[in-house]
Amino acid sequence: MIEAHDLTKRFGSKTAVAGIDFRVEPGRVTGFLGPNGAGKSTTMRMIAGLDRPSAGSVTVNGRPYRQHTAPLREVGILLDAKAVHTGRSAYKHLLAMAATHGIGRKRVREVIELAGLESVANKRVGGFSLGMGQRLGIAAALLGDPATVILDEPVNGLDPEGVRWVRTLVRGLAAEGRTVLLSSHLMSEMAQTADHLIVLGRGRVVADASVDEVIARASGTSVRVRTPNLAGLNRAIAGPDVSVSTLDDGAAVVTGLSSEQIGDAAASAGIAIHELTALSSSLEDAYLSLTADEVEYRSTSVAPTPEEVAR
Amino acid sequence: MTAATLTRQPAATIRSDARLTFGRILRSEWIKLTSLRSTVWSLALIVVLGVGLSLMIASLGSALGGEQAVADPNTVLTATTIGVGFGQLIAAVLGVLVITGEYSTGMIKSTLAAVPGRLSVLVAKSLVLFTLVTAVGFVTVFGSWAATYPIFDGQGTAAGLAEDGLAIALAGSAVYLGLVSVFAIGLGTLLRSTAGGIAAALGVMLVLDTAVSLLAIVADWVSDVTPYLFSSAGSAMAQLPFSDNPDQFGLGLLEPWQGGLVALAWTLAAFILGAIRLKRQDA
Repeated sequence: MIEAHDLTKRFGSKTAVAGIDFRVEPGRVTGFLGPNGAGKSTTMRMIAGLDRPSAGSVTVNGRPYRQHTAPLREVGILLDAKAVHTGRSAYKHLLAMAATHGIGRKRVREVIELAGLESVANKRVGGFSLGMGQRLGIAAALLGDPATVILDEPVNGLDPEGVRWVRTLVRGLAAEGRTVLLSSHLMSEMAQTADHLIVLGRGRVVADASVDEVIARASGTSVRVRTPNLAGLNRAIAGPDVSVSTLDDGAAVVTGLSSEQIGDAAASAGIAIHELTALSSSLEDAYLSLTADEVEYRSTSVAPTPEEVAR
Repeated sequence: MTAATLTRQPAATIRSDARLTFGRILRSEWIKLTSLRSTVWSLALIVVLGVGLSLMIASLGSALGGEQAVADPNTVLTATTIGVGFGQLIAAVLGVLVITGEYSTGMIKSTLAAVPGRLSVLVAKSLVLFTLVTAVGFVTVFGSWAATYPIFDGQGTAAGLAEDGLAIALAGSAVYLGLVSVFAIGLGTLLRSTAGGIAAALGVMLVLDTAVSLLAIVADWVSDVTPYLFSSAGSAMAQLPFSDNPDQFGLGLLEPWQGGLVALAWTLAAFILGAIRLKRQDA
């Protein structure tokens, strides 16, 4: 369980995290989303006691991180795959980390095996690929068999097999009743892995809800309709909140009405319907619409949009 | 909440009393220090340079000097501690690297996440490095004494360890090396930069001496400061006690034990400054 109350971090005149409140509950995977500069990493660093909050507080399993007598048993953290001395072997790195808590070689070998690092365990970390670094970081996070696991961009640089490994691992950890906080920019991956989402934008929480809720809230209902009599259907369903746009292949997309309402209206007007499909938007669409106003560093499109061309 | 919450078992391979203790943090820092090649190389270099230079000086002396046929602890001491001047530079670089290497690689995040109290990490690092560097210092100077003994014996000037407190002077130079390494950890922790830390440490040990002796030409009283410089204190630690060696007064150095206290003060000052920044500022 992670709880933040009025958590604030200012760097000089810039406010990175602006008094946020949230709870990360055990037994499920909580996704931590937000554009670059939204305050995710700063928040994670404050959870881990690396940065001190300017105001407010954050606790892990009921206490500020620094007050735990066995921090590695409480929280496993992957903040940065490269938080390892490049001149040391993976095995010695894990052994040194484990030694602080009196955790022995057996457990070290166990996490090395778990992360699939057996063949490179005695090699110096400086020569590791990004993916190997991620695996080492995850192995280190799991050393103390912690009740809470925090992973910042764990799939960054992993191959498809590794991505699936992280997904299975993270789901398994949550199923065991652990608290899991996971950040990623890969929305498709997040949609498959997370149960719950906390979305940050410019240091504030812009959404704190289940994945389904976030998607549903962000997208208006839209329905794809195929009919030989589009003009008739247009008249039958016309209303103040209803809009109809035509696609290239002759189908139309109706927003503002459910598929039931459209089907009923067509039936009473005697209009044939060939297709009626409710369109749900992806998490990516939902995320982009949620954070559209919150993006700190926006890339502007150089190519003109189709509308501009039409003008 | 699911039933799984209740069934979660701690990993069987983790002992039930797994938590932070200072002894365990010491062990962790020992593993860290000894698992880096730079440590091994630096320490080996201190020994090789120290013993090598001593042998060279002793042989030169035997080639030039006439037969004295009198035990000469001062000459023996000068020859056996000649490498300490280089050794202190290596110890300083090693001390800076021990902490700035963690900042430059990002390792510090892992370290402080495991030991969020922070100060115990710095204390453990310093103790471990002090012990190791001092031990290597002992090996170097006593090794140099043993290696050069036959040469001096050939000249008739060989001095036993019990002679005029020679053993104490050799031990003093070894402890000085250990203090230098901790002094450098302090500066590295304060500056969080390898280049800055090394520049600051060498600045205090080399440049400050030159600056003070230049200033002393202009203002007479400045020369009174000289014995209290870090490296002067180090030289004081590595000389024969005054009681055994009255003619040393002329060198303008403190008594060995006073030199030890001054060197300790420099070391603690750097350590405390580093500790304050480590504790107060975000990692």
